[in-house]
Amino acid sequence: MSADAAVGRELELGDVAVPYHWLAVGSTGVLMATYLSVLYHVTDIVGGTAALTALVVATLVAATLAARHLPVSYAAALVVGLLGAGLGGYYLSVPSPYLVATSTGQILADNVALLTGLSVLRMTEVGAWALGVAPALSFGPWYLVLRRRYALAVAAGGVALTFFVLTGDAGSFVTLVGSLAAASALGFGTLARRGGTAAQVDAIAIALVAMVVVSSAISVVPGGTASPILPGGSAGPQTVEGSVVNNDERTNIVGSIELSPTVRFSVEAERRGYWRVGAYDRYDGDGWIRTGEATDYRAQSAPPGPSRTLDQTVTVEADRLGAMPAAWRPVRLRTGADNARVTSEGSFDPIGALREGEQYTVLSEVPDPSESELRTAGTDYPEEIAERYRQLPASSADRIRERTDEIAAGAETPYATAVAIENWLEANKAYSLDVDRPDGNVAESFIFDMERGYCTYYATAMVAMLRSQDVPARFAVGYTPGQRVAENEWVVRGLDSHAWVEVYFPEIGWVKFDPTPGGPRADTESQRVQQARERNVSNVDTDDSQNGTWTPTTTQPEDETGTETTDDGTGSENLTAVAESGPGQRPQLAPDREVGRTDSAPEIGVATTEAEDGAGDVPIRPPSPEEAALGGLVVVGLLAAARRTGALARLRRTAWLYWQPRRDPDTDVERAFARLEHLLADRFRERRPGETPREYLDAIRGIDRRAERVGEIYERVRYAGESDRLLADQAVALVDELVRERRGLGR
Amino acid sequence: MTDANPNPTPPSRRGDDSPTPLPVDEAASLAGRIVENVEEVIVGHHDVTEHIVTAILARGHLLLDDVPGVGKTMLARSLARSIDCEFKRVQFTPDLMPTDVTGVNVFDERSREFEFRPGPVFGNVVLADEINRAPPKTQSALLEAMEESQVTVDGETYRLDQPFTVIATQNDVGGDRTYELPIAEIDRFMKQLTLGYPSPEDESEVLRRVTGRHPIEGLDPVATGEEVRRARETVAGVTAEAAVREYVTRLANYTRERADLGVSPRGSIALLRAGQARAVLDGRDYVVPDDVQAEAEAVLRHRVRTGAETGGASGAALIAEALENVPVS
Repeated sequence: MSADAAVGRELELGDVAVPYHWLAVGSTGVLMATYLSVLYHVTDIVGGTAALTALVVATLVAATLAARHLPVSYAAALVVGLLGAGLGGYYLSVPSPYLVATSTGQILADNVALLTGLSVLRMTEVGAWALGVAPALSFGPWYLVLRRRYALAVAAGGVALTFFVLTGDAGSFVTLVGSLAAASALGFGTLARRGGTAAQVDAIAIALVAMVVVSSAISVVPGGTASPILPGGSAGPQTVEGSVVNNDERTNIVGSIELSPTVRFSVEAERRGYWRVGAYDRYDGDGWIRTGEATDYRAQSAPPGPSRTLDQTVTVEADRLGAMPAAWRPVRLRTGADNARVTSEGSFDPIGALREGEQYTVLSEVPDPSESELRTAGTDYPEEIAERYRQLPASSADRIRERTDEIAAGAETPYATAVAIENWLEANKAYSLDVDRPDGNVAESFIFDMERGYCTYYATAMVAMLRSQDVPARFAVGYTPGQRVAENEWVVRGLDSHAWVEVYFPEIGWVKFDPTPGGPRADTESQRVQQARERNVSNVDTDDSQNGTWTPTTTQPEDETGTETTDDGTGSENLTAVAESGPGQRPQLAPDREVGRTDSAPEIGVATTEAEDGAGDVPIRPPSPEEAALGGLVVVGLLAAARRTGALARLRRTAWLYWQPRRDPDTDVERAFARLEHLLADRFRERRPGETPREYLDAIRGIDRRAERVGEIYERVRYAGESDRLLADQAVALVDELVRERRGLGR
Repeated sequence: MTDANPNPTPPSRRGDDSPTPLPVDEAASLAGRIVENVEEVIVGHHDVTEHIVTAILARGHLLLDDVPGVGKTMLARSLARSIDCEFKRVQFTPDLMPTDVTGVNVFDERSREFEFRPGPVFGNVVLADEINRAPPKTQSALLEAMEESQVTVDGETYRLDQPFTVIATQNDVGGDRTYELPIAEIDRFMKQLTLGYPSPEDESEVLRRVTGRHPIEGLDPVATGEEVRRARETVAGVTAEAAVREYVTRLANYTRERADLGVSPRGSIALLRAGQARAVLDGRDYVVPDDVQAEAEAVLRHRVRTGAETGGASGAALIAEALENVPVS
């Protein structure tokens, strides 16, 4: 083990010596890859992947060259310049309406807001932003590490990663990998500067693994409890990006909304409608994000096409309600305007939350186009609509497009396309609340792999498919009409929450499509309400709703768009995350098992604890790439530990002893003799350094004749220069025999 | 001063018509015969006898370091007699001149020409007794002959007959009036050997043998000069693989790292050659590390100077240490 103590600047891995410097460079590369992967993910969603890749590669090459020739002070100025230029370019690319409202102070405030867990994806021009910051982020650490300024390089890369950790874009896994890379870059950097021993390398490996194990047990990164690295710890099925909005803030409110059969609010209106809360424009494969900021309340214009006015008075029945549900499109608040603002997609939103008993009256202009109007609407989309609502993650766009092309083969208008997609989803996917959240792109998984899902899946898939056909569409959330308790009154419960699709038609505006099959949804819902009533859960009913559903005397159900699927009055569905209002929130496409489950009814109105979820039957599944990578890291650590304790050496020794790959006769004979020596060392004693093979074999009394023969062959091959395949065969065969017998050495 | 060689080898311009090598087994049996034969006379010095025979086969010369009267001369004589070749003896004294060793040109009155009278160096086995008593100039005359296998007198070069082996002796008890051999010259001896006092049993055996007729008188030759020359060719052709060569180098390096003066490359060469001869003695045509180890002490110890300047003993200790520690590959 003396090699362990030898101080050097290289890591010996078998025959290959890797300088610590290059290990540090490699680790820094991994660190950079973690936060650049966030940028890559961003560009994958909004476009510009090729440009980003080219930019990063070019910057890395430039940094490599600069590391040879450019002094540090100039390089620092260059990085600052790059960052400044990049951010300047970004602000120039922001559409002017946004820019008008921004002052320097607001820009700062925006950036600070980002650091509190708001995803960078919320930025309207996040693609430009990513391209803007990428050069500075790639240049700095790479330049520094190549100049052997390891600590500075790690600091620079660490700041970049920390930024994305704080915005929540870097999930636990990326954060962990980045931290490990930073730690190993520092470790190897120190070894490269001062020289190190193999023992120290092992220590680094063990420390890294300790980091993995500890952080898997106690997640300390933001959102860590929500997206633990290994399942079964605490959280439900969420994604890495889930941490973006998965703050306590959101969970508190959504928890009571999403799962509850209790009444949320009641609506007095002439007609029923889908009580819409908001919509989302940006899809990142895992969920939905609303870009842009909410603005101060002002009356909104009516949709350009034909519409019908609907006055709604909404009374909050829950403790609090973080949204202002209203039929699309809300135009004016008759009451409650003081407390409202307008989200970037045009819905009203309370500042703070509404309390029980609060009321607001909202006037909506519900689009009411005829089918022929929709058919003839054409595709002359306004530019900002086309740009904002046709984005798809590039990584899955092609596949979805091909499938949708088949499904909507005969459709010639966007309307026909939408209907075809809607029909296909309704016909081909079964409704179920009990689904496992797929890895990766949800829309892609739902379209291609999954057999069942619920509204969020249907809606997400449909938006993705529409966008693949270049039809602007968005993901809308809200509540279904609820239970009609009087001619003009509907009672809406938490489990009426729903997700659907809005499609944009020129000259008409946003039109609702609901791809979720209505029947099964209604069954689930009524069952749940009934159950809650039996258990005497409070606030399941209002005074009116207990008396049963009011049945309209007209036999013709009202249809708002003519495209809506059949929907009985109570048709509703749980929406996972209707969420409170406000920018940055996004519903998770997480399956909601509690609702579908009838066997373990938790206290209604309180979210089932996650532990219960985890305690259920965990399906056997192949490990995710993250788990595989972590497993790999743990294995590396165990190997390092094993090496420290000598177990690895013993294991390797044993494997080496039993298995001899064949090469040329000389090598074969030498190795055979080495194996024999090992065998003899185990049984008798080791050969001393100055002892010749002949002396050694002579010194061991009672040695097996075969061992002597191996010694003779060794001598002839090694010292007489004989190189003979037959001799080698014989030697290897004899040693094989001896190894197998193990005890056959002595007579 | 001693009997001159009547037929000195004329100034040699011989080409490389070296004799045909003996097959290894014959060379081995030849060496064995010589050793046995010498042991008819010399009792209890089997190792030294073997060393001397291998040195002769490896074209080396020997330095016997010893107290007087332990049989050095007898050893050299029995060796010469066993090989059936010419034995010469020079007693080195402080007044010995170089020409007393090499030979001298004598003016012939009748032919009115100078005629070369070969010195005692023109023999096959030359015993240079108490070499450290002669002045350096005389010593170096012998050493040049050893190194070059030729002597130069008055500008004329005379090649020496082969085999040519010098067995020089040094007496430890000389005290003053001795000239210690310079390290550069001592390096030219392939081996330094010590006979030492015989054990009591051996000594009484010696006494038994010398009563009456001295055994040397009845000693018959067991080899011819030609056979020895051919065996030398055999030795020169013995394989020394890289592993062995590297081992020799490592040994030499070991001494260089630890002594004031380590083993010279000449020493490494000598060790490998001695190893080749040892291999032949064992009937092999390739050198194994064991051969090197068997020869290492005799070949190397007089070539190192350790700091203590305690002479051969500490040199021998260093060589033993090297053999212990330098890994055999």
